[in-house]
Amino acid sequence: MVINGVEIDDTFAEAFNMRGTRVLITAQNLRWAYNAANAMTGFATSVIGCGVEAGIERELTEDETPDGRPGVSVLLFAMGSKVLMQQLETRMGQCILTCPTAAAFAGIESEDMISLGKHLRFFGDGYQVSKQIPDAQGRLKRYWRIPVMDGEFLTEETTGMVRAIGGGNFLVLGTSQAQVLTACEAAIDAMRQFPNVVMPFPGGVVRSGSKVGSKYPKMFASTNDAFCPTLKGVVKSELDPRVESVMEIVVNGLTFSDIAVSMKAGIEAACGLGKDNGILRISAGNYGGKLGQHHFKLRPILSGEVA
Amino acid sequence: MSHITLTAKPVSRQIDCRALSPQALQGKTAAEISAIKLTKTLAVAEVFEVAVDGSDAATKVTFKNTNAQHAYMGFGMTAGQVIVEGDAGDFLGAQMQNGVLICKGNAGARAGDRMRRGMLLIEGNAGDYCASDMMAGTLGVLGNTGAQLGYGMKRGTLLLAKAPALQATWIDCGMHKLPFLNILYKSFKLLDSRFAGISSLRVRRWMGDMGGLGKAEILLIQ
Repeated sequence: MVINGVEIDDTFAEAFNMRGTRVLITAQNLRWAYNAANAMTGFATSVIGCGVEAGIERELTEDETPDGRPGVSVLLFAMGSKVLMQQLETRMGQCILTCPTAAAFAGIESEDMISLGKHLRFFGDGYQVSKQIPDAQGRLKRYWRIPVMDGEFLTEETTGMVRAIGGGNFLVLGTSQAQVLTACEAAIDAMRQFPNVVMPFPGGVVRSGSKVGSKYPKMFASTNDAFCPTLKGVVKSELDPRVESVMEIVVNGLTFSDIAVSMKAGIEAACGLGKDNGILRISAGNYGGKLGQHHFKLRPILSGEVA
Repeated sequence: MSHITLTAKPVSRQIDCRALSPQALQGKTAAEISAIKLTKTLAVAEVFEVAVDGSDAATKVTFKNTNAQHAYMGFGMTAGQVIVEGDAGDFLGAQMQNGVLICKGNAGARAGDRMRRGMLLIEGNAGDYCASDMMAGTLGVLGNTGAQLGYGMKRGTLLLAKAPALQATWIDCGMHKLPFLNILYKSFKLLDSRFAGISSLRVRRWMGDMGGLGKAEILLIQ
C-alpha cells in the first residue's frame, strides 16, 4: 500500500487493556484551566516510569462544563484500577487543588466510580462542605467545597473508571529529522480533532521507541535499535539507507474504534506531506503480537476495513 | 412522573399534612389518597380535593389554595417534588430527607426543621426559627426571615435574598464569590420557580450556629 508516495508497512500496532478515566477541569479562564491540566498531565507519558499516561483531550466551552466556566477535559490511563486511583488522587491533590481558581468534575459515567475529591476533602481540616445538587437529568451529584487561600476549591466527589486501550501507535520514517517532525505535527493536529483519545508523549510524539529487554540485566526495556538510523549497518536494521529519522505517535483511547479512527486520520495527515517532502514509510510498533490484546493493522485501518 | 394535585378546601383549624409526602402518595389512586386519615377523625377528602395524573414512580405533589393552617407539608419527604402554590403553615419541609420542595408563598415557623438533605425553596417569607436544627441540605428564602434564623443549625446552606437579623451565634465570614453557586443555580433553572432567576455568585457568608456544631452557613446573595 502506498499513499502519496509513502509506503505503508504490512504490520500492526500492538496495544494493551488499560483502565481509563476522564476529568473535566474548569477555571476562571482557559489560561488557568490549561495550567491545571498541563500540571495534571505532566510526567504522564508512559506507565513504565510515570504510573499513568495522560493528556488533554479537548477544550470545553462554558456550555459544556458543570459550573459554566471554560475548561478542558483530561484523559488518564493506567494498567490497573488501583494505580489509576492512586495516580488520580495524587495528581488531583498536587495539580488541581493547588492551581488557582481550578475546579474538577467527573467526565465520564460508569458503574465503577473512583475518588476524585472524596479523600481530598480532608484537606479542608473539618471545614469542608458537602453539597448534593441534581444535574440536568435529575441525578444527584455530590460536590465538595474545600476552603483554600484563593477562596473555595470545588470538586465532584467521584468520576467514572472505564475499560480502555493504550498503546495504539505508528512510526513515521523519513529522510530528515525536520521533515519527520513536521509530518508528526500534522498527524497530531489531525488526531486532536477526535474525542476519546490522547497522545501522551511530549507534543504527542515520541522519539525513543523501545524494545523489550536489554544487554543490561536490570533494564527491562531499551532503545529500539532496529529503528535507530545511526545504527544502520551495526544491528539488524529495519531502515533503508535513505531513512535518517524515525518518530512514533502513541495513542490511547477509550475504545478500539476511537484509536483506529484517530490513527487513520494521523497517518493520512503525515502522508499528506508525501514522498516529495521526505516522508518515506509508515510502520508500527509491536512485540510480535503475543503481549498486547489489541492489534491495529495499518493497511485495514487505512483502507477503512477497520474502524 | 405522576402528578398529584391536592386543592385545599377552606379550613378553620390547623391541618397536619405530614401523611401527604410524595413517597406516601406514590402509586395511589385519587380515591385511596382521599381516604387517608390525617388525624384519627379527619380524612384527606374532608380538607382537600384530590386529582391524580399518571402513575410513574417519581411523584410530584402540588398543594393548591393552602394557607398558614396547613402544617408539615413535605414532612420527611425522601424524593420527588412538592410544590406549594400558596402559603404554608409551620414545619414546612421539616425532616426532609431528599427531593425538592418549592413554596410559592410564605412559610410559617420552623421551615426545614431537622432537614437532612434536598432543597427547600421558599419564594415568600419564612417565619421564626427557619432551618432550626437543620442537619444538611439547601434552604433558600427570597423574602424576609423571622427571628432565630438557623437556631441550632448544624450543617447545610441557607441561601437568602434579603439580609437576616444579626445573631450572636452566627459569625460573619465576609464577602465571597463561590463557584459552587454556578452549579446550584443551574439546578434551579430546571425548576418552575423564581429561584431560577438568581445569578449572582457574590455572597456574604456567615457560619453558625456556634451554639452547637457551627458548620452550617448562611449565604446572603448580593
